[in-house]
Amino acid sequence: MEATNYLDYNEEIINFALKNGASQIQIAHSICDDFEVEVRQGEIQQFNKAISKSMGMKILVDDRVASASTSDLRKEIVKNLVLSTIKRARYSEADPYARLADLERSNIDSNSLNIYDPKIEELSPDWKISQAKEMESIALSDNRITNSLGSQVSTSLSTIFLSNSNGFAGSFQASSISAGVFLQAGSGDELYEEGWWENRVALETLPQIDEIAKTAINRTTRLIGAKKIESQKLPVIFEPNIAAEILGFLSACVNGNNIYLNRSFLAGKLDSQIANPIINIIDDGLIPGGLGSRPFDSDGVPTRKTIVIENGILKSYLLGTYAARKLNMKSTGNASGITNFVLENGNNSQNDLIRRIDKGILITSTIGHGLNPTTGDISKGAAGMMIINGEIAYPVNEFTFSGNLQSILQNIIAIANDPIQNSQVITPSILVNELDISGK
Amino acid sequence: MKIQDFGLDGTILQRILSIALAQGGDFADIYFQYNSSLSIKMEEDIIKNTSSSILLGVGIRVIDGIQTGYAYTSDVSYEKLVETARNASIIAKNKHNISLNTLQIKNKSKNIYDLNAPVINSDIDEQINLVKEAYNSAKKYDNRITKITSSLASSYDFITIANSEGLIITDERPQTRLMVAATAEDGQNKSTAIANNGGRAGMEFYKSVELPESIGKRASEEAIILLSAKDAPSGELPLVLGSEESGVMIHEAVGHPLEADGIWQKTSVMWNKYGETVANPNVTIYDDPTIPNYRGSLNVDDEGCDAENIMLIEKGKIVGFMNDYLSSKLLGHKRNGHGRRESFQSIPIPRMSNTVLMQGNYSPEEIIESTKYGIYAKSFQGGMVEGTGKFTFSLNLGYLIENGKLTAPIKNVTLIGMNLDILKNIEMVGNDMGFFLGTCGKQGQSVAVTSGTPTLKISKMTVGGINGSN
Repeated sequence: MEATNYLDYNEEIINFALKNGASQIQIAHSICDDFEVEVRQGEIQQFNKAISKSMGMKILVDDRVASASTSDLRKEIVKNLVLSTIKRARYSEADPYARLADLERSNIDSNSLNIYDPKIEELSPDWKISQAKEMESIALSDNRITNSLGSQVSTSLSTIFLSNSNGFAGSFQASSISAGVFLQAGSGDELYEEGWWENRVALETLPQIDEIAKTAINRTTRLIGAKKIESQKLPVIFEPNIAAEILGFLSACVNGNNIYLNRSFLAGKLDSQIANPIINIIDDGLIPGGLGSRPFDSDGVPTRKTIVIENGILKSYLLGTYAARKLNMKSTGNASGITNFVLENGNNSQNDLIRRIDKGILITSTIGHGLNPTTGDISKGAAGMMIINGEIAYPVNEFTFSGNLQSILQNIIAIANDPIQNSQVITPSILVNELDISGK
Repeated sequence: MKIQDFGLDGTILQRILSIALAQGGDFADIYFQYNSSLSIKMEEDIIKNTSSSILLGVGIRVIDGIQTGYAYTSDVSYEKLVETARNASIIAKNKHNISLNTLQIKNKSKNIYDLNAPVINSDIDEQINLVKEAYNSAKKYDNRITKITSSLASSYDFITIANSEGLIITDERPQTRLMVAATAEDGQNKSTAIANNGGRAGMEFYKSVELPESIGKRASEEAIILLSAKDAPSGELPLVLGSEESGVMIHEAVGHPLEADGIWQKTSVMWNKYGETVANPNVTIYDDPTIPNYRGSLNVDDEGCDAENIMLIEKGKIVGFMNDYLSSKLLGHKRNGHGRRESFQSIPIPRMSNTVLMQGNYSPEEIIESTKYGIYAKSFQGGMVEGTGKFTFSLNLGYLIENGKLTAPIKNVTLIGMNLDILKNIEMVGNDMGFFLGTCGKQGQSVAVTSGTPTLKISKMTVGGINGSN
């Protein structure tokens, strides 16, 4: 990565802004070195390699806010942008809540977070191309797979430099590598689409590509012959990737911005029992090697471990500086959203959960929207495996599941111990006692 | 504005194109972009923030057979462009020594945007007035409206495209959108609804097409109705799609499956159905980028090709696909200017612009009256489709239809079906028309689109509601 220290540059711009009428200013520089290759049917469908830079600024003049961003980093352009942003601030109305975060000393050593793997820098494009090709060719070697929707390997290296006029100056580097393949199976107009991908901070924790390809094959081929089902109420197991979608929706509902605007069903519910007592959820920005681990958020506030739900009781919202002030609370270092949002494991395997069900569905994929934070309502398209008498019986498709997040959280009656690590939401499989299924 | 303002000219672009093709390849192009935007946000009764953004950069693409190499840079100096061209050419393996045509400036054959008084260039005070008018109208609609977000986002996009076939062409594209989110509370329930309007238009839009007050009022009206909305019923039911926003359904069920990349890759369930009747014969669908001032409209696509109105389904039969340079070449079809990209950071791929299902003969009232029991779709959150043809769309607000009349409002429900089934089930097409303004995501790229439909009746579709609620 480039060695330029943008903290010095930031300081120069901050001084320039303060001299020219800004009361407060914050600057963020980001540099991203991105690589992506997508292979389809053995040929490079897309190869994308680039380094991009951009900067963003937030300026206050007497509590009036204006912001700006640019990918044109020539100094005279940036200085002009500072001046025009200072001018533009007078169009906003005074908003004392919007002042920059007070400086909070932090003893987080960003190196100990292990969020940058220098080995990823060394990977050659040819190596990444050959991995994508091999992963696809393993997947296509199964004769039940009829087409490839693409096999991808991508890497991302980024550096953030954040400084503000309250005395904050910090930077960190982060890396990620991901690999995945998506497939089609079936014949005629009866087609099934699925796949698998993995995403990690460090190369050596990325699962091997043959493992990824085999998971993709299994997830796709098990859907062959899927039927429509009758509408009914059934117990449901969400596989970890789908449980992560549900928990991701929960994370939007505990986000401070939705709370102070009353656009969450969880506004005003602090300290109440919103979930089954077996549920414990934390947001932890300091997990070593975590995809969402960061030393500080976009306000320059140190990240931390926040208990969100303890024994089913809502203990905290996730707050940036602005939302925290609006709610008369303290920032939790979540101005950039969730860090690592983790549901604590239970003691069961996924099979244990399956064995508990006489008739129900293992939901393995979803399609579409249908999430409403204001009410907590969920309604999504899905596919999965029917469970009969404690065993996987046959594939089911073209149905929806619907309910309210509050009642789903109350009805999670068992949690497995099989979390996956490929997103900022980390959760094992969960068993929901009863959910509305719509089909025929 | 011109590329010369950034130290570039035709001679330099020509040199960069020849570097891009030095390792081989059949085709190369350069996409220069300078996009400036301004957004203004009002919330909790004050103008909270104004935010401007400048996006400058160049993307360079090399095509060799079916392979595409791409690289981009936000530093547009000559040395960086050379490095970027070399990165894009890594995929090229076979030296063809194709001869580069000299760049010839091509003028656009039409201009379909309103370039008089682009919103972003007008007085900030005037723009703030639009935001306030929408906000205040949403607020005074009903005292149960407790939180409002009103925001205006406008941009001006300058692009120049040059390619190895000798084309060099420039387009300047305005875009504006005024959006209001209103949250209502009555002590028992709460709800949020969104309304928006805009297009490739200027200030005149908010005087002659829709007033800001009207946008604000629509958001609040829907939020208030949602306070008393019930859960939807569950199962296969007749569905009437209101004209306001139901274009989402056509966008997912027909639009995506007829984008030509899924056709040559044989990943779309419609790849082998050219000339086949896949929909009820009362269904005719086209994609028209040439509608003046519309959000999805384009003079030329992001490969510099004239954007053309293309018939997709005529009386139920598939008659066309939306293509870009690569897919048209691989399929042997004439290009129709549907290659689009989110920005200089992305490769062009076949995309929709304004997708329209043509009007039929029934009045909306007749269509509702013909339905004994079913669902009426009023407003949408969005939709999704996969190559298999399985698609969903999600309603923010709908109504029950009982004995030919709209009765109870229903909230947050997703509908699911297979496109080849549902298209045959379109049994009535209305004589009205409405457009949904959307931002469509595909392969990680977002582009502005609209989709239009009259009121439609689908004989049955799976409604993802609550069992036993009706």
